[in-house]
Formats: sequence, structure tokens, C-alpha cells
Amino acid sequence: MARAYPLQRKPLRTSTNPIAVWLGLFDLWRRRDLLWHMTVRHLRGQYKQSVLGYAWAFVNPLSQMVIMSFVFSTILHVGSQNNEPYPLFLFVGLVPWLFFSSALASGTDAVTGAASLVTKVYFPREVLPTAAVFTKLVDLFFGFVILGMLMVYYGTLPAATVYWFPLLFAIHMIFVLGLVYPLCALNLYYHDVRFLVGVVLTLWFYLTPVLYPLDDRVPHRYQWIYDINPNAVLIDAYRRVILYGNDPDWKKVGLGAIIAVGTFLLGYYIFKRMEAGFADSI
Amino acid sequence: MRTASDGPEIEFRNVSKSFVLRDSRTLRDLAASLIARRPLGHEFFALQDVSFTVEHGECVGIIGRNGSGKSTALKLIAGVTAPTKGEVLVVGRVSPLIELGAGFHPDLTGRENVHLNASILGMTSKEIEEEFDAIVEFAELQEFIDTPVKRYSSGMYARLGFAVAVHSNPDLLLVDEVLSVGDAFFQTKSLAKMREFKDQGTTIVLVSHSPALVAEFCDRAIWIDHGHKLAEGRADDVVAEYLERIPHGSGVGV
Repeated sequence: MARAYPLQRKPLRTSTNPIAVWLGLFDLWRRRDLLWHMTVRHLRGQYKQSVLGYAWAFVNPLSQMVIMSFVFSTILHVGSQNNEPYPLFLFVGLVPWLFFSSALASGTDAVTGAASLVTKVYFPREVLPTAAVFTKLVDLFFGFVILGMLMVYYGTLPAATVYWFPLLFAIHMIFVLGLVYPLCALNLYYHDVRFLVGVVLTLWFYLTPVLYPLDDRVPHRYQWIYDINPNAVLIDAYRRVILYGNDPDWKKVGLGAIIAVGTFLLGYYIFKRMEAGFADSI
Repeated sequence: MRTASDGPEIEFRNVSKSFVLRDSRTLRDLAASLIARRPLGHEFFALQDVSFTVEHGECVGIIGRNGSGKSTALKLIAGVTAPTKGEVLVVGRVSPLIELGAGFHPDLTGRENVHLNASILGMTSKEIEEEFDAIVEFAELQEFIDTPVKRYSSGMYARLGFAVAVHSNPDLLLVDEVLSVGDAFFQTKSLAKMREFKDQGTTIVLVSHSPALVAEFCDRAIWIDHGHKLAEGRADDVVAEYLERIPHGSGVGV
């Protein structure tokens, strides 16, 4: 009889040693089949029973872009960074932002929403929030399809520096997961967390340069707010590499990456420390 | 293949499990209780100082009344909850037949749910491919395998869940009252499948408030009442003692 897993099994780690806890990430890699099936499950559930189905993934970013462009460009004359069309400028920032906010919101509910599974069978619990975040990659992909069409419409091409995008996005992904892990664990104990996430996301949106550029219009003494906000750093970097053909500001991206990885390690540690109590708290 | 001499498959060492029953779970209550330094709820012991072992290849029944703590014992074995005190050691791949189809997504088809549920139970994609036809055949759902499971009857639902679990190649099968689902025909078939597992030397832990089933099916039995282990021994003896003490025991028969 072939055995896929080691015999000695301690499903719920209660170790306080960070190294031992972080080694749990290997379980996530070993159970990548499960992660895949779980992601598909989320995805299929997401737009089922809706008339437009996956078209919603287009409708949401497109309608937001139109209204925001009207309000902030036509009425308020915010203006883009290097005189590129405002919808294009806006959309390069809006698509990653929508990914961040929807991943954070759905990841926070991932464990609470899988109560029947969590109380019955053991599997690495981080599969649940991770799958919820991965599901939003599909919306992100559709967002970039719209961005592509927008670029065709304005007759521009992505800059040559676009090859930096995967690296920048990997940092973004690590940051989102690092926030989602502790939030979904805390949400089990205190359902207020999901409302808190909603409020914080709204405030965070305005403090992230999606609607406006991160240029000299931001007073120097407030610059630090943007430096410690990985969303701001990364959205600025996306614009540089996709629209302007500049390299990212490596000093700022480096700090963003350190914050992202630090958030991830701390967030995962909190999640694993709380994991043993999940089934008792649902 | 492991043999019985490899040591126990399950070992409970002085296991206690308590829950804090909380009346509410808002940050306001948390803040209030932190300030007043009073606990958030009262403690309730589902299991108290329970020790037992289950050897490899044994079939052990856990009996007791509703709320006696037997389902908590099963959850500890399944690894979904951790003991408050003591230690639970479990070896091998556990396949819990607890409330079948818990992981099913109503909008997914039978086929997709088989893949999802099997991977939750720890099967690799390759193993699932190999077992897929056997699973569908056992569940007798060949015609409906591409139908969303929300269109299934409860019997079909349970059949598919059971079929996945028994084909997951478990070292240890946990069974919690599942044999009451499905029609008589499927019950017979399920029992036959469990006998097959037993004969192959798969360890089985059966939780039931049906003493007759435990006496008939299990080698050994453990009686739990109010979180304490009252008796442990040959299934016949323990069941006889149980029936003597609780003359109007609930649910005799499958």
C-alpha cells in the first residue's frame, strides 16, 4: 500500500518556535493539488447563478474606471503623471488595487465560510485563505485584458520595462497573503474583523495613489506615509514599468518588499498559532 | 505493510478537552472582559483525563449517550481540534466518515466534488484518477456524475461522500453514525465495505449510540459518559454493561 504522507502525524502544531511554524509552508506546497481544487471551487461558486457570469469581472473595473475618470479627470482635473490619458493612468493603478481589496475581503471570510470542513477534517488550514486570494487572480487577469484593450484604443504599447512586473506583483502577493492569514483567523473569533477590513480598505484606497500620481503634488513631509505603504510603492512602480519605461525606485521597492515579507512571516506565524483553536471557535 | 507490533495507531494520554462557552463574540465584549478581568465565558469539559490506545488493525467502538464526549474524541483523532491537556498521538492517513460530503460544493458537479473531496482527504491527483471510476461505480452515480450535486437527493449525496472516503486508501477509518443515511440497500453495501476494510487490517474507530452495531462489528469498545471513560474491554462485555446501566438506551439497530 503506497503511503503518500509520513506516518507520524501531528496535525495541529502548537509549537512556539517560529522556524518550526514557518516550516508549515512546506505542507502548503505538498498539498498544492488541494490548493488548486479549492481555488476552482471558489471560482465556480463565485459567479454561478448570475446571468452575466464571468462578465462581472469586466463590468466592475470598467464601470469604476469610467466613473472615476469622469469625476477626477473631467470635473476635478486631477491629471495624470506624464500627460498620458487619465483613464490609462488610472487603470494601471486601479486593477492591482481592486485585486488587493477583493483578495483581502474574501480572504478574511475564507475560514469562517468553510465551517463544515474545518470542524470535520484536517488539512492545512492556510489552503482556505490562500485559495480565496488565488481566485482573485482571475479578476486581475481580466483587468489586464481590459488594460490591453485600453492601450490599443489609445495607441500605446506597454513599455519595455514591463518585465519587472512579475517581480513587483510577487511582492504584492506576499503582502496580501501576509495580511489575509491573521485577519481570517481573527475573524473566526471576532466577526467585527470583516467590518473593520471594509472600513480600513476605504481609507487605504484614498491613501494609495490610484486616483492621483505620486509626484511633487504630495507634500514632502507626508511622503513617508507612501513609503511605508507597499500598495503605494507598488502601484507607483507598476506605472513606471508599464507606462513610462522607467525602472522601479529600487530603494522604495526594497523597503516595500521588506515590509511585505515581514508581514507575511508574522501573519503566517499568527495564523498557525491560532489554527488549533479554529474548529472550537466556529 | 505495518504490523501490529509497530505500536499503537492511536494513543490518548490523559486527554482532557474543554471548551469556553461564550455568549457573544464581539470586540466590545472582549474589551469589557479585559477591563473587568473576568473570563469571556464559562468552561465546559467534554472529555476529562481519558486514556486509551487503539492498536493497528483493531476495530474499536466508542459508545455513550448524546453529549457524552464521544464525538469530541473522534474530532481529536481526526486532528481538527487539539486537546486542552494531555496528548493525542495518531499515526497514518485518517479518513473521517463524519457527516459525509461536508466538503461538497452545491454548484460543482459530482465529478468536480469527487476531485475536491478526495484532495481534502489527502489524495494526490494521480491517486484520484486511479480511483475515480471505482468511486463513481460504488456510489452508483454513473448517470449523474456531471450533474451539480445540489440536484442530488440526500441519499445520493451521502453515497458519493462515503464512496470517496472509502476509496481514499486510509490507514484509519473514522465512522460517526454515517450508516444511518441512505436506503437499506446502500447500508448493507456500506457495512460490507467496512467489513472488507476490517478484514484487510485497516484500523476502524466507530462512534455510535447503537450498541447492537458496536457489539456486532467491533472487537473492543470504550464507553464514555460525561467526558469520563467508564469502561473499556471486549465489545460484547462493554455493550452488555452499557445496556444494563441504561435500560432504555437510544436507538437499537442500525
